[in-house]
Amino acid sequence: MNDMAEQGLRIDGLRVNVAGTEILKGIDLVVEPGSVHALMGPNGSGKSTLAFAMTGHPNYDVTAGSVTLDGESLLELPPDKRARAGLFLSFQYPAAIPGVSVANFLRAARQAVHPDDLPPAKFRQLVFEQLDALDMDVAFMSRYVNDGFSGGEKKRLEMLQLGILAPRYAVLDETDSGLDVDALRAVGNSVAALRKSDAGKQTGFLIITHYPRILQHITADVVHIMMDGRIVKSGGPELANLIEREGYEALREEVAGGAV
Amino acid sequence: MAPSEPVSQPLGLTGFNAASLAALVERRGERSVTAQERYDALARYEELPARGPARGRYWKRDLASLDLSGQRPPGAETQADLYAPVGPLAGNIVYTQIDGASTCDARGGMVEAFDGASDRRAEALSAARGRALDTRDDKFASLALAFQHGGVFVDVPPGRRVEEPLVLAYEAREQAIFPYTLVRVGAGASATVVERLRTGAGTSPHAPFLGPLCELVVEEGGTLTYVVLQEAGSDATVIATRRGVVERGGTLAFAVADLGGGLSLDRVRITAAGRNARIDVGGIFFADGDQHVDLETETRHDSPETRSVTVVRTAATERGQGRYLGNIHIAEHANASDASLRDDALLLGRKAHIESIPALEIASNDVKAFHGATVGSIDDDEIFYAQSRGISRAEAERMIALGFFEPALASFPMDELRDHLRREIARKLEGAA
Repeated sequence: MNDMAEQGLRIDGLRVNVAGTEILKGIDLVVEPGSVHALMGPNGSGKSTLAFAMTGHPNYDVTAGSVTLDGESLLELPPDKRARAGLFLSFQYPAAIPGVSVANFLRAARQAVHPDDLPPAKFRQLVFEQLDALDMDVAFMSRYVNDGFSGGEKKRLEMLQLGILAPRYAVLDETDSGLDVDALRAVGNSVAALRKSDAGKQTGFLIITHYPRILQHITADVVHIMMDGRIVKSGGPELANLIEREGYEALREEVAGGAV
Repeated sequence: MAPSEPVSQPLGLTGFNAASLAALVERRGERSVTAQERYDALARYEELPARGPARGRYWKRDLASLDLSGQRPPGAETQADLYAPVGPLAGNIVYTQIDGASTCDARGGMVEAFDGASDRRAEALSAARGRALDTRDDKFASLALAFQHGGVFVDVPPGRRVEEPLVLAYEAREQAIFPYTLVRVGAGASATVVERLRTGAGTSPHAPFLGPLCELVVEEGGTLTYVVLQEAGSDATVIATRRGVVERGGTLAFAVADLGGGLSLDRVRITAAGRNARIDVGGIFFADGDQHVDLETETRHDSPETRSVTVVRTAATERGQGRYLGNIHIAEHANASDASLRDDALLLGRKAHIESIPALEIASNDVKAFHGATVGSIDDDEIFYAQSRGISRAEAERMIALGFFEPALASFPMDELRDHLRREIARKLEGAA
């Protein structure tokens, strides 16, 4: 068992370059087990870079800092081992894998993250429950992963995987973008269902979003605002309301004014 | 099944030449292919240039100087101990040929040995033969006709719908084989024929040679599904010539998997001869080790309102080399025809190479024709996505590479065949890993 002090998805002093340009300029953030953090910010502030760097995308070059998951250092691990350690990323633009069925992909992923913990019948039951919760037809299972999927279908498949993998920490990158109201509600319901389940009640969430509207479906405990590769302000849910009312520019002026 | 042929004595000859052909003709007498045809064909074989990929930076085999002088021609001693059926659809085998020996299950008179056709069948055979296949323009097709030995005539009478697949098993062990497969599907009839090509554990010091001829005739409104599983050993040379013709309203679904052979050349040409004829072509190969694989498909639209769909997926790993030449020909009067060709190649090793050559010859203005081709390696974003779900890089690559073949595997009928092919592809992937 890890020391309680090490629990959480802990990001310390993280600096990340992409193609030689520094995008993240020192990020400190802790997502505690079972908590929901929102990371908000204007386009280009570095939110998705944080998600990809944590997940281990080869194009994201970590130059300083650390990321630990319940005490286990992630940055030395390849992406698949980070996932097996308990990290999950819901992609904003998930890749299509033609020729690989959703069913086979889910089975392989579940087996990789939770080896041999569910007999096939139980696995099928889990899949059906999750499909139901997301209003997804069982025909999804025989389609190829994200191949020819609409934007909403892709997001639903991300949520389906979230439910089936029940990670210790989930990063949802712009899961709300491009979704209609029904799809957004389905996403909210599936996160809520996971948080209520035995497998997911300890799952910590980092919800990356440009717009506050997803936070009407998933209540955040803490809201962080990112600008130009730094977290410039953290606070309670009221911070999201402030952004909704006044936009990022007002906050940018406030932060810039404060720095003078 | 009963053995059809007495076992021949050794000819003691090697190479494909006048002496070995004379011995073959003397031994066998005139059958479906006359002695004159054979000698004419041999003359063409000796004169015509070899067509195929030119030797170059990647392709190491020189077809022009392909040395077949050590080959043992058909008619030499044969093994009569025909094996118990094995492999995919073993229970559906209706014809087995090992070297020169064969057994045939007539299936109600629809299936007959090409050489041993009864008088009643001989007429039907000679009426069907030559409707799709003309060997005169091709060196290796001429060689195959000169030394033709064995093969089968499948004659599906008009209106007959054959549910069970008819499986033909050809195997080379001690000598070259040149079987002739002739299929006629009568008006409104339907059938599925599977041709399997293999090599056995022979004691011959010479690498096996397989030169199959295949002629497919689909009459008005008929439907033929024809499948080739080429799984010869890695020391074998396979040069196949396949021709099909589809008459008015008929459909030919042709699927070929060239998985075996050290050198494999497969030349397919199918003609939509009648209005509303439809051609589906599916092709796969996966060159591994030192394999060189060349696949040519040509669909010819000779009548109005004809359709063809070609889907080819190829891969190469290790030092494997491949070439795919896909040709669509639409004649001037073939108005309102619709042709599409999609071929994608996957490179899995730094020394592996595949060349993809599309060729569209379209003489009519009033047609739809589509062609798309890609050559590339596995997409990094796909690997990263799978890895982000806990799947190891090696497993992700295997999964994606297997998935890559699926669109072409969909051209193959029956789960048993598709599963067999998936296993063979997976085996190649594991061997290379």
